[in-house]
Amino acid sequence: MIGFLQNLADALSLGSLYALAALGVGLLFGILRLVNFAHGDFISIGAYALIVPSFEVTAQLFIGTWNWSLMIPAVTLIVVIVALISDALVFRPLRRANAPTLMIASFAVSYVIQNGILMVYGARPKAANLWSGLDAPILLGDLRIPLLQVVTIGVTLALMALLTLFLKRTPYGVMMRAAAEDFRMAQYLGVRGNFVIGLAFAISGILATAVSLLYLSQTGTLGPTMGVPLALFAFVATVIGGMGSLLGAVVGGFLVGFIVIMLQAYLPEDLRVFRDAFAFTFVILILLFRPSGIVPTRAFIERV
Amino acid sequence: MAPVSKSTPHASMLRRYWPLAALCAILTVLVGVGSLIGSDQLQVTLTEMLIRLIVVVGIYTFIGNAGILSFGHIGFMCVGAYAAAWATVDPTWKQMMLTGLPDFLQQNQYGFLPAVAGAAVLAGLVALVIGAAIMRLSGIAGSIATFALLAIVNSVYSNWESVTAATSSIIGVPAVVGPWVAWMFAIGALVLAYVFQVSRFGLMLRASRDDEVAAKSSGVNVVRMRLIAFVVSAMIVGVAGALYAHFLGILTADTFYLSMTFVTLAMLVVGGVGSLFGAVAGVIVVTVIVEVLRHIEAGVPLGGITIQIPQGSQEIGLGIAMALILIFRPAGLTRGNEIAFPFGRAARRKRKAAAS
Amino acid sequence: MLAIDDIHVSYGRLRALKGISLTVAKGEIVCLIGPNGAGKSTTLAAVAGGVAATKGHIRLEGKDLAGTRPEAIARMGVSLVPEGRHVFGTLSVAENLRVGTYMRADRGAVAADIERVLAMFPRLRERIASPAGRLSGGEQQMLVIARALLTKPRLLLVDEPSLGLAPKIVDQVYEILLEARKQEGLTLLINEQSSHRILKHADRIYVIRNGHIQLAGAAADLADGEAIKRAYFGFGEAASSDANEEEDAA
Ligand SMILES: Nc1ncnc2c1ncn2[C@@H]1O[C@H](COP(=O)(O)OP(=O)(O)OP(=O)(O)O)[C@@H](O)[C@H]1O
Ligand SMILES: [Mg+2]
Repeated sequence: MIGFLQNLADALSLGSLYALAALGVGLLFGILRLVNFAHGDFISIGAYALIVPSFEVTAQLFIGTWNWSLMIPAVTLIVVIVALISDALVFRPLRRANAPTLMIASFAVSYVIQNGILMVYGARPKAANLWSGLDAPILLGDLRIPLLQVVTIGVTLALMALLTLFLKRTPYGVMMRAAAEDFRMAQYLGVRGNFVIGLAFAISGILATAVSLLYLSQTGTLGPTMGVPLALFAFVATVIGGMGSLLGAVVGGFLVGFIVIMLQAYLPEDLRVFRDAFAFTFVILILLFRPSGIVPTRAFIERV
Repeated sequence: MAPVSKSTPHASMLRRYWPLAALCAILTVLVGVGSLIGSDQLQVTLTEMLIRLIVVVGIYTFIGNAGILSFGHIGFMCVGAYAAAWATVDPTWKQMMLTGLPDFLQQNQYGFLPAVAGAAVLAGLVALVIGAAIMRLSGIAGSIATFALLAIVNSVYSNWESVTAATSSIIGVPAVVGPWVAWMFAIGALVLAYVFQVSRFGLMLRASRDDEVAAKSSGVNVVRMRLIAFVVSAMIVGVAGALYAHFLGILTADTFYLSMTFVTLAMLVVGGVGSLFGAVAGVIVVTVIVEVLRHIEAGVPLGGITIQIPQGSQEIGLGIAMALILIFRPAGLTRGNEIAFPFGRAARRKRKAAAS
Repeated sequence: MLAIDDIHVSYGRLRALKGISLTVAKGEIVCLIGPNGAGKSTTLAAVAGGVAATKGHIRLEGKDLAGTRPEAIARMGVSLVPEGRHVFGTLSVAENLRVGTYMRADRGAVAADIERVLAMFPRLRERIASPAGRLSGGEQQMLVIARALLTKPRLLLVDEPSLGLAPKIVDQVYEILLEARKQEGLTLLINEQSSHRILKHADRIYVIRNGHIQLAGAAADLADGEAIKRAYFGFGEAASSDANEEEDAA
């Protein structure tokens, strides 16, 4: 029982990261029909922004040494700027392109960012120690939950609440939802398309920063492709959750986190190395039985 | 489908297969000239280019006909590469390192051609089994499913210690593939891809790509057509994998993952997803871009100074080139056209129009 | 107010408009009629910036709209109600109504305007909190018209307001449009497939077919409907399509 609860806590905290990443992916998909492969690289940039550029194996924190109240905005700003630049240079000229073209364009952006990181910081993974104070466990009876997991889940819930408030209660949130549903019609009503898309990129960058800080403090290592697996699981989460539905992205994120942790915990020893293979097999199965995802959005619109 | 003309059957055959013949001729000239004048480095580049050409032609056979973006085909390359290596690597090494292999592979050493055939068959089988499930999906769900396929193959091959040697590479694969061997298979891939494309299956698939609903209602079994294309394309890519193994001489599963997927998709998109000509043109153009950048990366003497760009510029340059082409030439360099037939009425009319 | 001068629009190889010219004066109600595929919707979309003209000019109060984004045109006081009831299905009725008001300078007047529009469409008030995707077809048509009126347009473009609506509701919709014209000096450019209802309300009519204007005139002059019928169904087809072809080749 304790073991299961422990696993559940792990699943929730991993699921939180996937859910946050999936929200970033899902937001852009909703508005642009863009499956953004570069989201993982936004995450990597958030981590690399903390350290001094060098080829050393042990990373020297730079922004990372600042007080968190200064460091978080600074890193966020850097990631948001990168996200906005990729929109301005690549995705804006492709506004009329179809979904596969956009997907491949984001692949190109990802390739450029990864190799850019490689050029500046070298290919080898680096160790970095961020927020080591969060390693202390919280004891709940026999259950030991690392403080970091609690923080991760808390931050995720807070960000989700903020995003929901933004989307439901503010004019820009309403415009964004309108644009996500019918971009051209929103424009006919005076909604500035490029502005709303830029806003979506910025929010997606903020979410990516949250993931990169939380993830880095969990793993303590940086690599030029560190964000890629997160983004891959995030796609999977958005697809099985239902593309275009933010609720779906969150549900999908937690579900994928749950699947991964439970496979890790309960697969027989010699099959455990194939965890990802099993996880992606699940993905295919879910796609086969619910091709439009667990939380399909368009269903009741298409009925009309 | 083809316009009815009054010309003889021979002439219309020629017209029908002209795009293929032209592509084969281009490749032959390229390899011929390359191996006549070429340095060793050029031979290597040429061989690698031809193998990638086979991969891209294979991917094109699926994407170009079925209209579903696939991220999974490099998985078939992986499957093919390992299948061939299992056959041709020295049995004593296999008995030591690959203890999980079935006896007929572990105890014996096969020739190169049977190994390639085995690669094609295994890749085709995997495609058949997985495709039977996922070919029902189209659009983004379909693309993500192929992506999951890539991730599954990668996870299995980079962790299955007793069969793939996992992270400690398979070594000692006979390096028998040079430009002419690769050329032979490249021509074979072109012929197969083109014949498929102009066959009844290919035409029906292309029709379904443009209008799935109409194709379904006219009784075309879209899923089965896609599956056929998927298997054929997987076999072509599997063969390329086998060639690649026998070109490199050493195998690691991570060779066949995101980076290779990006490069090959980039080639296809740069050339144009809509035509076989696009696949070939993309491979050649991207190879040239990459080679030029690689040269400058190594340093080019110019006048008294050496011009050099930092490591990694090659990849960044490729990424930028790709983005530029997507922006300025969204249908690719060839815009989805095959090489036009230069003789006959249509061409004459065109020339006349251009002259006036 | 609006002057369209010889515009051409293509969708890929398909040439939808082959030289359309028309004008709309301030305060007028002008109607475009024509059969399916004539190019009516394309004409309205071109004015609203949804499709680009390959040739020709669209001028709004003298200003050329070429290259202007749809949202900028909307901000200049042009509102399009496209065909096919484009409600934002997951947004509530209230949110749908508000989307178009965010660009308005007179934020203070918005609440009162929403009240006024809801008074015109009492059905919408009853459904104010439900997702727009759940409304019936007729209610959705009311919603898109109400939403367009709330942008405070000077020129309202309406694509087939009567499509799929019961005749009684169609009359109601026209009454509201006429009312809005009276109260706010609205100018209207309306697409319809059939002429009999619009003849009552329109000042002038253009018949469009196959990407060309076939006939233009004051509604009063065309009241018997004979000339419209001829233009609409293309009697004397051979002669006119030959003329088109020559024009195309040139
Ligand atoms: N998005 C599009 N892509 C391709 N072709 C289009 C598109 N929209 C319209 N067309 C074509 O352009 C032509 C004009 O269409 P348009 O919608 O303007 O006609 P319409 O007069 O509004 O017809 P209807 O009365 O049926 O609404 C038609 O041949 C149509 O098929
Ligand atoms: Mg229309």
